[in-house]
Amino acid sequence: MFDKDIWQEIFHSIKNNKLRTFLTGFSVGWGIFILVMLLASVNGMQNGFHSQFNDDATNSIFIRPGTTNKAYAGFEKDRKIQLRNNDIEYIKKSFTDDYEHISGRMFKSTSARYKSETGSYSIQAVHPDHQIIEKTIVTEGRYINMNDLMSSSKVAVIGRKVGEDLFKEEDPIGKFVEFNGLLFRVIGIFIDEGDDNAERGIYAPITTYQKIYGNTDEIDGIALTYNSSYDLTKALEFSTRLENILKRRHKIAPEDQSGIRIWNYAQAFSDISSFTGVLSYIGIAVGILILIAGIVGIGNIMVFIIKERTKEIGIRKALGAVPGQIIKLVLLESVFITALSGFIGLFFATGILAVIGPMMNSPAFTNPSVSFSIVLTATIILVLAGLLAGLIPAMKAANIKPIVALRDDK
Amino acid sequence: MIKIENLHKSYKMGSNSLHVLKGINFSVEEGELVAIMGSSGSGKSTLLNILGMLDNLDEGSYTLDGVPIKDLNETKAANYRNKFLGFVFQSFNLINYKSAMENVALPLYYQKVGRKERQEKALKYLDQVGLKEWATHLPSELSGGQKQRVAIARAMAAEPKVLLADEPTGALDSKTSYEVMDLIQKINDQGNTILVVTHEPDIADMCKRIVHLKDGVIVEDKKIKQVRAAEHV
Repeated sequence: MFDKDIWQEIFHSIKNNKLRTFLTGFSVGWGIFILVMLLASVNGMQNGFHSQFNDDATNSIFIRPGTTNKAYAGFEKDRKIQLRNNDIEYIKKSFTDDYEHISGRMFKSTSARYKSETGSYSIQAVHPDHQIIEKTIVTEGRYINMNDLMSSSKVAVIGRKVGEDLFKEEDPIGKFVEFNGLLFRVIGIFIDEGDDNAERGIYAPITTYQKIYGNTDEIDGIALTYNSSYDLTKALEFSTRLENILKRRHKIAPEDQSGIRIWNYAQAFSDISSFTGVLSYIGIAVGILILIAGIVGIGNIMVFIIKERTKEIGIRKALGAVPGQIIKLVLLESVFITALSGFIGLFFATGILAVIGPMMNSPAFTNPSVSFSIVLTATIILVLAGLLAGLIPAMKAANIKPIVALRDDK
Repeated sequence: MIKIENLHKSYKMGSNSLHVLKGINFSVEEGELVAIMGSSGSGKSTLLNILGMLDNLDEGSYTLDGVPIKDLNETKAANYRNKFLGFVFQSFNLINYKSAMENVALPLYYQKVGRKERQEKALKYLDQVGLKEWATHLPSELSGGQKQRVAIARAMAAEPKVLLADEPTGALDSKTSYEVMDLIQKINDQGNTILVVTHEPDIADMCKRIVHLKDGVIVEDKKIKQVRAAEHV
């Protein structure tokens, strides 16, 4: 294999048969190129899906009350369920080990005014833990803290868009803004990477809003994160327990799906994962089909090349070449060409990805890239396939009697 | 040098069998220049192919330089060809992407001769056929006569025991044919054993012995007075 003479023969033959070399090389290089692009696209779609959902903590659970649709425990159906502060306390006590962060939520909308600018926005009144549950990024100032909560202070964390709309060029931090006629001090600004609309929201302490709305203890929902060490099964088991206990507490029939709704991120995430899983299987399946097409292409060209070289093989044999030398010559040449052009295809595809990949950042398609080991494996498979595809005709050619090969006049 | 006894060979053509050689007895001494003549289909090329181990015999025995040639597999045949025989073909059979010198050096490559020595030897034999200046040219840049002289240089480069020429002048005009025959005679003068298959009487007359084949048997085998090709050039 490392005989200098045979490599000289090979380079000589490559140099003097440029079209043949190009045809073989092109089919391999092109196959690898398409394969890399395909796998990268699938990967980009997966990245896109994941980034869509990475916005919130992936271990979050949202609880919202609804209306019962079954009569149960002496209550009529169509009863509206109301969550209260003590539901939060109850969950905290009952699931000490299961939850990490918990926050009540009130959903209100308000008209806001600063100087002459006005606008209508939705407000979420929450506990300080809500920042972690929603992964809210505060770029200026701070989020709501326990002090705000204890003293029910009229403070607000506003979205970037709200700040732009109301304050224009001014720095909103520390300024007072009017929500439905009440003055709130802006303590922070948040951004949301995934969603411009979320930046049109406002956060305020939940106690403040409960006071404003008649000193109530009612809440519109509960958000929590479960113990982050839980795997999917444990997380689902926890949310089932949570659901059962809350249903019992609010006297909702166990089979009633609309009395209380628990939306578990783990569930949604597993659905998405299985979707992108299917996507990657499709990618692999199509990739295999491309590989097969490439192999058939190489096989074809190998048969053609050996057909073309039959006479040369006859001459070489008449001059004393043994069959083994012929096979070695033909196969080493084809392996050299397929490997080289495979890596050229690989190089081009990864090069294009390196340039284009970072530019691709639409929600559905993020940073297309491909695992190098997969592509390397594919290249090796293609080269081996080329070898096998060439082996049979090469052996056949090497065993043709030279007289037959020489008679093969063209 | 060559000894053949009761040689038979037939080819299968579909369901029919074509009996080409029907019991040939024939021997060649060292230094002979033998013309094998016969019309098309007489079996002369088949005989040469068997002598050249390019084809197998069906029946009979063949001894070359004291070595019985039998039970040949491809590897063994290739080694014998490389060691004992040089070929010159009607259609030259040069490798078209190799230069004249590389073509001449090829049998030496299969004899595992080192690269430098190969080149030296190839140049030496090209010089002998008068084509040293054409060493770097491709076959497509050479005339028919030049191609055949390169082919003869290639056959001689391996320093074979026997040179086998199958219609060496068949694709050449008469002037070039005589030049090639002149070359073959000179090689023979150096003591090399040469067999030439031809159907042209003037070419046969330039050999020292004519073996006449007809329908697969030798009908005539006579020594003749050699006509020197140089007189006609």
